[in-house]
Amino acid sequence: MRGSDWLDRLGIGALIGVALFSLALLLLPAVIVVIMSFDTRGYISFPPAGFTFDWYARLFNQPVLMGAMWTSIKVGVYVTVLCIALGVPTALACARGDFRGAAGLSVFVLLPHMVPGIVLGVAVLFAGALFGIGPSIWLQSISLAVYVMAVMVRTVMARLQKLDPLLEQAASNLGATRWQSFRTITLPLLMPAILAGAVFTFIEGFDNLSVTIFTHGYRDRPLPVELLTIVQNTNSPLVAAVSSVQILLAILALLAISATIGLDRVND
Amino acid sequence: MPATAASGSQACVVEIRRVRKRFADLIVLDDCSLTAQEGEILTLLGSSGCGKTTLLRCIAGFLKPDAGEIRIDGRDTVPVPVNRRPVGVVFQSYALFPHLTVANNVAYGLKMRGAPVEEIRERVAKALATVSLSGFEERYPSQLSGGQQQRVAIARVLVLEPRVLLLDEPFNALDAKLRGSMQVELRQLIKRLGITAIFVTHDQEEALAMSDRIAVMRAGRIEQLGTPEDIFDRPQTAYVADFVGASNFWEARAASGQITLPSGQIVATKLDGDVSLLIRPHNLALSSAGGSAWNGRIISRRHVGALMEYEVEAGGTRPLRIAALRDVEAASLSTGEAVSINLRDPTACMAYPRP
Repeated sequence: MRGSDWLDRLGIGALIGVALFSLALLLLPAVIVVIMSFDTRGYISFPPAGFTFDWYARLFNQPVLMGAMWTSIKVGVYVTVLCIALGVPTALACARGDFRGAAGLSVFVLLPHMVPGIVLGVAVLFAGALFGIGPSIWLQSISLAVYVMAVMVRTVMARLQKLDPLLEQAASNLGATRWQSFRTITLPLLMPAILAGAVFTFIEGFDNLSVTIFTHGYRDRPLPVELLTIVQNTNSPLVAAVSSVQILLAILALLAISATIGLDRVND
Repeated sequence: MPATAASGSQACVVEIRRVRKRFADLIVLDDCSLTAQEGEILTLLGSSGCGKTTLLRCIAGFLKPDAGEIRIDGRDTVPVPVNRRPVGVVFQSYALFPHLTVANNVAYGLKMRGAPVEEIRERVAKALATVSLSGFEERYPSQLSGGQQQRVAIARVLVLEPRVLLLDEPFNALDAKLRGSMQVELRQLIKRLGITAIFVTHDQEEALAMSDRIAVMRAGRIEQLGTPEDIFDRPQTAYVADFVGASNFWEARAASGQITLPSGQIVATKLDGDVSLLIRPHNLALSSAGGSAWNGRIISRRHVGALMEYEVEAGGTRPLRIAALRDVEAASLSTGEAVSINLRDPTACMAYPRP
């Protein structure tokens, strides 16, 4: 008994060790970026030599960066709206649809996410030209919606597959039309998944670079593209400050989910 | 022509006439016909795959039969969409809406009909009182026990005053002890409200306990329709006899209207030739060896509630099951003992032709 006790403890200890190590790997880069953003020196370096809010002050005084951030927020919203409007019906069709090709459709929707972003970006750029849509905030939003649609469809489908189909039958037995039962039963029960999908599609729309770099508008340069330019030309902690703001936005989004529906229910 | 009322003075509420349904190559319902009278509890009993649930789903409108009529109050309901049928379904899993409170679950149907708020409140309160769940209005389904969830599911359909209540194995999700009391409770409730109920189960004891009439189904057909007494005491086919209640089939030959048992006792029959004779375990009496010319040996015994049930090797193709009340002498016989067997009531046996 004592022997197995001892082994148990060793196992649990090892598990905690591995967990802490993985957590450190995940968190450390972000933490270092945030720390560097407060450095007093004019170049990126670690550890910092002092503490200042200078770079944040400069960031908020740079119309180009603020404009880029605003563009990226707009793109995030457009991508999210597109993904909800197209992704939720697609998920319904894939999960509940009784037609030939329902299974094929779900694979088709997931495909763009499997392709490297650069390839998709180039593809959408040419496809856009075909339809007369040049690189712009619209083409960027469309390309990113195509890219991350899979996330929305998969999240909503996972939730749908766990929903008891009898709930809708019960609703119709109680007198609800199909639309009523969708609005009063299915949609409210899908809400956690839609919200979770929305947060992820927003973040992707906000900070994607690989697809964006081909499809963004030259007058509406989004934040990731602007950042890339700065990093290529300068070496100032300003970049770290911008990245810190991005990290903060992502954390806020996740906090928003956990406050409204709870993170544990995202994949429920 | 209005629905032809079956025997008796009561009106026929549900009439199912020659309903057929197939899924691809599989015939699930094959010419099913039956009626349910006003205020009657009718049970569709059968093993899984016999078509009982399919028939229930056709009545509810979740499935459309390929042929035949389903009349409710004389009106053909096959073309009527699900949400307009005067039918309330209690699902096996209850299918309560998890995001709505008990009160809102029960109010759901009334809201869909656009009933006034005040009326909804009154009728929900009344329905919850009927199933003894007053005070549970603000709970969510996940906060209720299985039995309470079932009662919410019942209140949710009763509040709409359906003409027919359909229950799909409603006791399956309950543990054995609760099941018994819920059966009694549900039967009393349905009888008090005078509602017509069609009830699906694979559990023959449940069917015998709950029903006014039972339709035993087999391979998409109705094998026998009758009262629990008919079904249990006078099963029309060997299948029904085997499915409902414990049974022995004694293989014998009938000649000139008589079947003679090894004990010398005679059972009258209209059949001739090879027959299987149904003898219920409680219709056989055991005594110590020498009590009759029908001798056997006890293979095993087991306690079943108030009964002692024996398996006795007695010269048939299969051992006989014989039940004795625990307070009689026969209950003290032990395994391996030689015994004699007597038939208690020759008129309670049923003979079936043997192929």
